[in-house]
Amino acid sequence: MDVKQIYWNPVLETLPPEKIKQLQLKKFRNIFKWTYERSAFHRRLYDDAGLKPADIQSFDDIKRVPKVEKSMMREIQGKAPFPYGEALCVPLEDVTTFRQTSGTTGQPVYQPDTWQDWEWWMECWATILWAQGYRPRDRVFIPFGYNIFVAFWAGHYAAEKIGCEVIPGGVLDTKARILKIQELQATAMMGTPTYILGMAETARTKMGIDPAKLPITKITCAGECGASIPSTKRRLEEAWGAKVFDHAGATEIGAWSFECADQPGGMHVNEALFLVEIEDVETGKVIEAPGRRGKMVITALDRMAQPCVRFDSKDLIEWADEPCSCGRTSRLIKGGVVGRADDITKVKGVLLAPSAIEEVVRGIKGLGDEYEVIVEKVGDTDRIKLRVEVLPQAEDQCALIESELVDQLKLKTNLRYDIEICGCETLPRYEVKAKRFKDLRKNEGIR
Amino acid sequence: MTQQIDINEINTKIQLLKKTAQELNRMGEDFPALARNTARILASVKMLEINVTDLVDLK
Repeated sequence: MDVKQIYWNPVLETLPPEKIKQLQLKKFRNIFKWTYERSAFHRRLYDDAGLKPADIQSFDDIKRVPKVEKSMMREIQGKAPFPYGEALCVPLEDVTTFRQTSGTTGQPVYQPDTWQDWEWWMECWATILWAQGYRPRDRVFIPFGYNIFVAFWAGHYAAEKIGCEVIPGGVLDTKARILKIQELQATAMMGTPTYILGMAETARTKMGIDPAKLPITKITCAGECGASIPSTKRRLEEAWGAKVFDHAGATEIGAWSFECADQPGGMHVNEALFLVEIEDVETGKVIEAPGRRGKMVITALDRMAQPCVRFDSKDLIEWADEPCSCGRTSRLIKGGVVGRADDITKVKGVLLAPSAIEEVVRGIKGLGDEYEVIVEKVGDTDRIKLRVEVLPQAEDQCALIESELVDQLKLKTNLRYDIEICGCETLPRYEVKAKRFKDLRKNEGIR
Repeated sequence: MTQQIDINEINTKIQLLKKTAQELNRMGEDFPALARNTARILASVKMLEINVTDLVDLK
């Protein structure tokens, strides 16, 4: 095997766009027929829309296929065949793996997978890791508490499939993980941006270890959009002296997108395995042109046990207008996943995306990595409180930092904030998905 | 590199592999180790089909 080969699949990844479209249409027709014939839930949905498998002949026909929302999956689960309900397309005895969604937006959704589906998960991840430069000589450390969620399980096994040596850092604490990286000279690592930043802070402040001097050369991030936020990526790369790559995936979808080694300022959609459509949030019309942001509707073209067909993911993305220098023909989404449709909230009449606040906070040198945003109603007025941590060496510059924060936030979000500058390590730390944005108005029934 | 890859030839061998694994799987009715290991092989063969076979008939 030639480790200099830059593509995991040199045929599929360089397929001309018209052939990718052909492949997607062929596969969509297959998965539609599969779900129609095996899932009472999908059949009802499609019958109600007047659609039969033979009706799917073109991409315009695909647009007529009803979308599936997470709430619909919640409703059918917990029933026979227990616990997955009517969307299960294989006999229960063929299910070999259970995972569930994290429940960030409500009751978790159960996800069954067969061996074939699990192989497919690994295949998705193998494409990602190979594109990011993982090779058999890499020693990959995974500083993550493996559990009932899908996070990093597939990354682990895909790294093994590629031929890497994988060190599961499961139940170790942060200090023990850092020492293990040092002891075993690990060269790559996977984690959430929040946790990887926190590890660097622990190494520096509590262990006297400069993480940039550890042998980690590449880090694959998941779980949050931080690694695509330029100021967060910069912090991660400077802290670890490593290249940091983003990737996007979800339990009920699969690992559908990744940043390649060229770091083009966006992520490739793995279009051989997924059909990604972008819909205008207001009108629902499909956006084909680059540069217009909308929410993603996605189909996993080869996932069989509990298929994902036109799933309304609520991830906000936009097509990039330039192809990537790496030579892959799959399209790029500019800036990765830039937010979620249900995270964007109206404050003082202005649409606010939490990722815009992160970009500002992490772009200011005297501030630490953590922050917290609290939106509340005071009388009839929305108020945004932003709590940040000042680094010890910048404590005498608080006034200057506050002024820069206010100016940058006004510029990037067009809103004013009440700033609270806290000392180091006063804000909560997170290992999995950080919850830094708190909208207390929701508790009051105000939206 | 891409031009040197003959996906038709690779696909022929994938289909042979699949046929063999399916035959072994059928012989495993009273032989769990044979049935379950060949079932796993078939899951891997499916990945080969996704990587190669699915491309064979594209125009």
